[in-house]
Amino acid sequence: MPAMRDEAPIFRFNEQRPHLVSRTIDRVVDTTEDVLRSLNDAAYHETRRLDKARRAKDVERLAQWRSLAKRLGRMSEPQRRARLRELVSEYAHDIAGNFDPRVHKLSTRLIPALVTSLLSPSKLPRLVRHPQQLFSLDALRDKVVVQGNVDHLRKLAKNSTLIFVPTHSSNMDSIVFGFALERSRLPPATYGAGKNLFTNPLLSFFMHNLGAYKVDRRLRHRIYKDCLKAYSAVLIEEGYHSLFFPGGTRSRSGRIEQRLKLGLMGTGIEAYTRTLMANKERRVYFVPATINYLLTLEAESLIGDFLSEAGRERYIIEDDESSRLGRVTTFSRQLLGMNGSVVIRFGRPLDPFGCDVDEDGQSHDRRGRRIDPASYVRNLDGEVNLDQQRNAQYTRELGQRIADEYKRETVAMSTNIVAAACFEQLREHTGGGDLFDTLRVRDHVCPRDDLARKARRIRDDLLDLEKSERIHVAGNVRGCSGGDIVAQAMRAFRGYHTIKVLDHAADGLALRDPKLLFYYQNRLVPHGVAWDANAPRATPPAGAGANTGGRR
Amino acid sequence: MHVGILGGGPWGMALAKAARRARSTTMLCSRRHQDGSLKGIKITAELAELATTRLIIVAVPSDKARALARELGKYLDGSHVLVHGIRGLSGDELSTISDVIREETPVRRIGALGGPVQADELAEGRASAIVVGSAFGDVTSAVTKALSGRWLQVHTTRDLRGLEWASALVGCLSIGLGYVQARQDVSPGLLAALISRGVDEAASIAVAAGAKRETLYGLGGYGDLLASMALPDRPEVILGRELAAGKTLQQARDSAHLRIEAIELVPRIARFAHQAGITPAIFDGLTSILTGQADPEETVRALFSA
Repeated sequence: MPAMRDEAPIFRFNEQRPHLVSRTIDRVVDTTEDVLRSLNDAAYHETRRLDKARRAKDVERLAQWRSLAKRLGRMSEPQRRARLRELVSEYAHDIAGNFDPRVHKLSTRLIPALVTSLLSPSKLPRLVRHPQQLFSLDALRDKVVVQGNVDHLRKLAKNSTLIFVPTHSSNMDSIVFGFALERSRLPPATYGAGKNLFTNPLLSFFMHNLGAYKVDRRLRHRIYKDCLKAYSAVLIEEGYHSLFFPGGTRSRSGRIEQRLKLGLMGTGIEAYTRTLMANKERRVYFVPATINYLLTLEAESLIGDFLSEAGRERYIIEDDESSRLGRVTTFSRQLLGMNGSVVIRFGRPLDPFGCDVDEDGQSHDRRGRRIDPASYVRNLDGEVNLDQQRNAQYTRELGQRIADEYKRETVAMSTNIVAAACFEQLREHTGGGDLFDTLRVRDHVCPRDDLARKARRIRDDLLDLEKSERIHVAGNVRGCSGGDIVAQAMRAFRGYHTIKVLDHAADGLALRDPKLLFYYQNRLVPHGVAWDANAPRATPPAGAGANTGGRR
Repeated sequence: MHVGILGGGPWGMALAKAARRARSTTMLCSRRHQDGSLKGIKITAELAELATTRLIIVAVPSDKARALARELGKYLDGSHVLVHGIRGLSGDELSTISDVIREETPVRRIGALGGPVQADELAEGRASAIVVGSAFGDVTSAVTKALSGRWLQVHTTRDLRGLEWASALVGCLSIGLGYVQARQDVSPGLLAALISRGVDEAASIAVAAGAKRETLYGLGGYGDLLASMALPDRPEVILGRELAAGKTLQQARDSAHLRIEAIELVPRIARFAHQAGITPAIFDGLTSILTGQADPEETVRALFSA
């Protein structure tokens, strides 16, 4: 391993762990002003959550919470504070991860195998017995393409803390992103992984020892969220490079996320401000990144969830393709069989106030003038202070900037382009019907040349957008014909999705799965190149009556 | 409170006097020669000196805003608070002045002033109300400290975009007010219909631009337009009145003396509204008034029945 990465703080994590946990506990306890209210809020949420509990541990827990709720009013303030400290301590210890360099070394060789053994602990021993089945990182080199100015990031990583904020569309993301960091000789990052990803013992082992900290998404109360945020802030202050997904959850519709969750993002500004207040300034940089898949492992479940009549987005989906060994294996084979099937693009680094940052880590305003980021957290008397409302607004603005960078750094793949072309066909067929009219069309056959022509036109439009730095176009669709783009997409779809998305028919190509086409085309909606199902309905073309049967 | 004002015209001077009255340490930056009424206010012609105060209020004509912001931006950093009192939206994209400030300076703590207060009321210390809008609490509280007193109520809103659009839209609606007020048969009912329906239409347009509807119904929108009823000398009102009397646009402009942003803004706003799927009957009516295509009776009927 290159010497620079050995210095990365994460390699000292295990020694520092008690210190980090204790700082977190003190931080939360010291900054909780209304202890009664916080404990009451926790008791309320937890008693609701555990109300229908069956497991003995949960039933006991429920009893404890009920008892606390009854006693709270009569407890003295020191007693409440003590109880708060106990609770916070329990959470902080549960959250705090681990980092084992030996496991890290092993995992970088095992990442491809990890993919196929996501579920079955029994598979890994077999792979270990037959090491020729283990791929080296080199085998992934052409399949997983990494783009962006990584030299710049490596330089910044030496003396500052990086916070990677990638887009999120799949449970594969943390694995392929970890690979991208490794490939780029960037240091590993700590990250909050949902507790549901720890249920698999093998995956849990790896997650724990790769610096993941555990996030229990079932816990919605203030104290727990404060613990998570405090832990994240403490890590960043102490120089641990971090990773989280501002989208919060995998995109259900396939669209690149534009409304971001700001809770963890805010810890970046807080951490930076605290280092200033302690006179130990440590710069913090956000690194937006896009993870672009030719195919998404869980596309069918995700779009199904998005469209489902039941409507309510399930925040945690535990029973999708990533929990089925067969699907994961097929997917990995497909992924590993096609060049450029995953493109990870690192965007330009930003300071916590959304300013661009140069090679030396200096912030610049939009006119290119150098600016001291510390000035943003000074009050009118010139003193650095922690102003929650001010920092929350900065975070909102940073979120907007990151959302813009996501659009800019999207890499359009053949599947997105062909899906957009197909959807255009379907909409023409329905005469501008609404989304559900379009999704109901079954087995529409489109002449191959028409589709190829549309795909080429969309690709050319994207190349124009690329010139004004508003998107990127994948290497393997840049210079080829429309027919080639269609062929590439068909090859991708054919190898994986259960329904043949695009199929040969007597007089053209049959569009068999409008839902998946919708998923893949949604990636290009923010760029104005694919149909926006949420936009106000356009006036239907004249004479559209015949083809609009079934419109509400 | 230390406050710096950029702009030596009537509005800038009025703000400087209001700040002085509120016992703020006040600096006025202007290249114009100033009269003696500014005792107690430090005068400078240098932007660098102005930048030594952290709270700066910009009160310059909208067509000078970008160049001045770029120039001033050289002396500012992230700790400055920049608030503008400039009515207008620039370019085909209808950018707000806060957009311009964000592009041309490193400042993020940005705010805007709006509301019914007029320059002469502010200068003379007559009781009035002003609105400051900003997403940042420290901006609104700094401006409140700098300006408020027994005679000037400072109201605050978090909806900066809404306040800026409200100021611009109300400027446009004031033309319609002048136009209608000039009629022989004007009735309170007609004026009320125009004001109410006008603000309602403006609110829909502002929401399409990202504002909050309620901002238009508050002091910065409704309040500002209501004040116009009692301001026969307001330039937009004069313009409307002259156009109603059959003058050409150029003649009407000359009567108003001052540059009127709204003339160029009205058709652009009408276009924006159509693109957003809104039918802007009143802004379409204002457009035809300004382009001289209006039959006066038809126009008033359209404005009235919007």
